[in-house]
Amino acid sequence: MLDQKTLAYINMYAILGALENLCDLDPEARALLTNKKRIRLAFSVKGGPKATLTFLNGRVQLQPGVRESDIKIPVSSCEKFNGVVNGTVTPVPVKGFQHIGFLLKDFDALTKLLEKYLRPGEEELADPVFFERSTTLMLYVIASALSQIGDYDEIGRFSAHLIPDGDVSFSIKNGPAATIHVKDHVLSTEKKRPEKPRAIMEFESLELARALFDGKVNALACIGNGSIEMRGMVNMIDNLNRILDRVALYLA
Amino acid sequence: MEVYKHNKSREWFDRACKVIPSGVYGHLGPAEGNFIPVSKWPLLGERAQGSYFWDVDGNRFIDYMCAYGPNILGYNDPDVDAAALEQAKLGNCFTSPSYKMVELAELMVDTVKSADWAFFAKNGNDVTTAAVMAARAHTHKKKIIFVNGFYHGISPWTQKVDYPGVVPEDVANNLYVDWNDIAALEDLIAQNEGEIAAFISTPYMHGNYLDNSLPAPGYWQKVRELCTKKGIVLIVDDVRAGFRLSTEGSDAFYGFEADLITFCKAIANGWNVSCLCGKEFIKSAVSSLSYTGSYWMSAIPFAAGVANINKMRALNLPEILREKALKVTGGLKKAAEENGFDLVVSGEPALFYLRVANDDSLMLHQEWVAECVQRGVFLTSHHNHFLNYTLSDEDIALTLEVADEAFKVVAKGHPEIFA
Repeated sequence: MLDQKTLAYINMYAILGALENLCDLDPEARALLTNKKRIRLAFSVKGGPKATLTFLNGRVQLQPGVRESDIKIPVSSCEKFNGVVNGTVTPVPVKGFQHIGFLLKDFDALTKLLEKYLRPGEEELADPVFFERSTTLMLYVIASALSQIGDYDEIGRFSAHLIPDGDVSFSIKNGPAATIHVKDHVLSTEKKRPEKPRAIMEFESLELARALFDGKVNALACIGNGSIEMRGMVNMIDNLNRILDRVALYLA
Repeated sequence: MEVYKHNKSREWFDRACKVIPSGVYGHLGPAEGNFIPVSKWPLLGERAQGSYFWDVDGNRFIDYMCAYGPNILGYNDPDVDAAALEQAKLGNCFTSPSYKMVELAELMVDTVKSADWAFFAKNGNDVTTAAVMAARAHTHKKKIIFVNGFYHGISPWTQKVDYPGVVPEDVANNLYVDWNDIAALEDLIAQNEGEIAAFISTPYMHGNYLDNSLPAPGYWQKVRELCTKKGIVLIVDDVRAGFRLSTEGSDAFYGFEADLITFCKAIANGWNVSCLCGKEFIKSAVSSLSYTGSYWMSAIPFAAGVANINKMRALNLPEILREKALKVTGGLKKAAEENGFDLVVSGEPALFYLRVANDDSLMLHQEWVAECVQRGVFLTSHHNHFLNYTLSDEDIALTLEVADEAFKVVAKGHPEIFA
């Protein structure tokens, strides 16, 4: 069963958080924010996540908490916020009406671009550049969602309480990597390779990662044929994999 | 020293993946078996004898996993197999169960100190499940206390809420306490007063990925006292350690008596049978269970079990295994020290657990284990090991030679350790 609060955290930190990487990867996204005035967009979800997105010089940064903002969007519940992200609820800002053009134009274009990468069609994936960007973004989204599920979903928390402290490297060989930090059974994700991981789970290629993300290959069989490498504290990976199982449920 | 290759293993594994989920599933497979890196491990075997098995590439391994326990006298023990083959001529699975079942039950009762009766099935999970059901039938209570780090089988009640295919209701009556923590156990019992059917635990903590932990002095006696006082059925899961610490049962080894005790792996030296033994007071509850299986009364494993247990008793096998194990672990520690590694050995000697402690990630340990496996010594990096009777001094000497070379290979690849 989907927990709306967990989904709200995923939508904030994994989905909207992926805007950071979108702008790093996609020139079109970067162009939307180049030579524009800085905009700080804050979402404050009652009973849920609060975070601020800063758009500046072709880049996006997501920071937890509502800081000084140009546009502030309070949302009355996690369910509503999830509706905002999936497009069924229209957000209403309480501050920053003069920046409404940014919301309607640039922000809307960015999120549409992000959606294209995260829910791609077969034809789009046939383009190698698109394929690489899309798969890279998926890795970051999944890695970020892992931590939110481990921290908020009831069953995810059970898995997290069995994970010892340390960093887990979640990566694609010669490609993108993320770190899942574990401290006192609380998870957090950083979108870079850890310096000293206690456990490593690495996919041998972008193609394999894509096939796994799309549910086209079985992870255990991949461990057997060596296309997924795992080493170190395998009990950390084992429990993360149980959370990973729930990522598919939330991102479906 | 020759380094093994696994070309045929790979071919067979690829064929397996096409027709079997994940190729080789479970603890004998590369995922759960922690074959790290998988390229250095055999995936499919061809035959076994004594202390060795050979993979499909013809590589011979000194086997310190013993099929994860069933091999206790040595693969293809002549006495056990002769009894099994003799029974095969008479019949195996037929409508009237063979009298061999009664012979084995009598022998179990005579051998296992806390046993007044014996009930047979096939796998460890069959009898841990029977034990929990019997405890519930006897007490009319529903909650079961587990010790964190437990493994009692694969039925949904033995798994965790986040495992695939398990729903919260499957484990809703499971309570958890830390090993060796009597105060926490007392608290847990007080918080669930009148609701607890059983306490289930292995005789010592032989969980994976962590140093194994023996019972603190007086721990089991206190658990026994609490269970008796509160009407909680005390179940010892001796599937893994059974007959390797004592032929009388691991409860006897640690100086207490279980109400129910489960055996499987080492009963019949690889012939498939498991057994629940227990006290007279709970025999009727076991009788009341609707619980059976198509092959549970097949005669060949009963005949093998009789021969195996008689031989283990005659040899005083646990003492022999302990001596062999101390030679192995003492030699491994020495080889580690000589190469600058800190090898931690834990658990009971006959089921020793190893960990290279120079890093906190097990990565060095995994590298060393893989180098040993690649040179014909089958160890594992995440689980306790198992010894068998046929392990010879020559096998131990070769093991130590391989271990030494493996440490040297790992050391060469990690100059930072000695910086």
